[in-house]
Amino acid sequence: MDCPENLFYTKDHEWVTGQSGTVTVGVTAYAIEQLGDIVHVDLPDVGEEFHEGDSFGTIESTKTVSDLYMPGEAKVLEVNKLVANNPEEIQESPYDKGWLIKIQLSEPAKNLLNAGSYEGYIQED
Amino acid sequence: MKKTALYEQHEQMQAKLVDFSGWKMPISYQSVLAEHHHVREKVGIFDVSHMGEFWIRGQGAQEYLQYLTINDVKKLQVGHGQYTAICNEQGGMIDDLILYKTGDQEYLACVNAANIDKDFKWFEKCADSFKHVELENASSLWSQIAVQGPNSQAAIMGILNSQDKERVLGLPYTHITDISFGGAVCKLARTGYTGEKGYELYLPNDVAAPCWNALLATEAQTQIKPIGLGARDTLRLESCYLLYGNDMDERVSPLEAGISWATNLKGEDDFCGKQALESQKSAGVSRKLFAVLFEEQGVPRKGMQVTKNGEDIGLITSGSVLPSAGGSGGLALLDANKASIGDMVLVNVRGKFKKAKLVKKPFYKAKTKD
Repeated sequence: MDCPENLFYTKDHEWVTGQSGTVTVGVTAYAIEQLGDIVHVDLPDVGEEFHEGDSFGTIESTKTVSDLYMPGEAKVLEVNKLVANNPEEIQESPYDKGWLIKIQLSEPAKNLLNAGSYEGYIQED
Repeated sequence: MKKTALYEQHEQMQAKLVDFSGWKMPISYQSVLAEHHHVREKVGIFDVSHMGEFWIRGQGAQEYLQYLTINDVKKLQVGHGQYTAICNEQGGMIDDLILYKTGDQEYLACVNAANIDKDFKWFEKCADSFKHVELENASSLWSQIAVQGPNSQAAIMGILNSQDKERVLGLPYTHITDISFGGAVCKLARTGYTGEKGYELYLPNDVAAPCWNALLATEAQTQIKPIGLGARDTLRLESCYLLYGNDMDERVSPLEAGISWATNLKGEDDFCGKQALESQKSAGVSRKLFAVLFEEQGVPRKGMQVTKNGEDIGLITSGSVLPSAGGSGGLALLDANKASIGDMVLVNVRGKFKKAKLVKKPFYKAKTKD
């Protein structure tokens, strides 16, 4: 499974570009494989603030709806308008064009996994 | 968990398998959307062996079925089939089914997998007051393969002997005929649940896998592919074919579900539920199933609330993206006095109200008669 080395991961199958400061968040290729065809994504408004573990939106495949969880205490700086209108981009390019939101972490995120640990985690899943 | 005679085929093709009313069934082989388009554009085969098959035989079979089912069985000639339903005395639907007349005194009923036991008990109970009726629940002996899409005829031709070919070429929509395959007598019906031209094959279990493989072997000519139940659902929803347990159940009447065209209220013969349906008709049907098309991003799902001018008017019964028709939409059981085609409504999608329009059914015009 494709898990880029330079990213951090959550146990909810999201990737984050860093542990503090301004970071980008998306969903992993593993999550996409589990979900199937992505048909809709619901993202927050710019400026909204969330606690770690809050649902900040939903991702919907042909069959199921899943919550998206905030990786840390954060404020939304930007949402990816491309995926809001073309949810299939998340599937085609989960680590690049298919990113979901950019956030400002108010304190360093403590519960992120590195690529190796995440790979181990999904093998057990 | 029950497995169909084609289970090994699904495993070999690495299908994603899910529990579907007690059966381990393929939801998809690669992608629901790709499989959906493949059926609309080429041809696909579906394992629908979980569906139930009942035989109804004997001198009294016609009279019995005329009472048991809501459509006019007397209109059926040998080799013809009809969409119908069985209702309780309150006019609520116990199941919807296809009934074929396969002989002078022989009928085949194809019922929903989740309802096999419940239906057969009802069939038996109603048979008590009729003479010369023999019932057989053959569901565990028969497999079913649906072959659907513009290239379906070519795929079927690829597995038939020359005698059968000629007869099947001229087979009209909803008709059924015998074919031979692998030394067994099988039934082939020109029916389906996708809105495309297609066929449904009824096969004794031991020839199901050879038949599946033979159909797939026509790939070079037909581009045939296996299709999972995920795409079966998006295909049927675009054509506004009903799904029992979603769009209707024992609390919904055929008039509410929009199948009054299959309900023999005009005929003289009585059927179970007729009285209740007649009073429902004369009082005016209070709920009706509507097609709901979203006008913004979002996907309707079963159980979501529908409102009009701030007032609750009913619930979504089925919903999905509509891969061929475009956008997303679904069916909704709505207050018939408050909803009309053309109305703008709001659908409560997890707390966000999405704009939608009530449109004429179906979302995708059927090509079954092509």
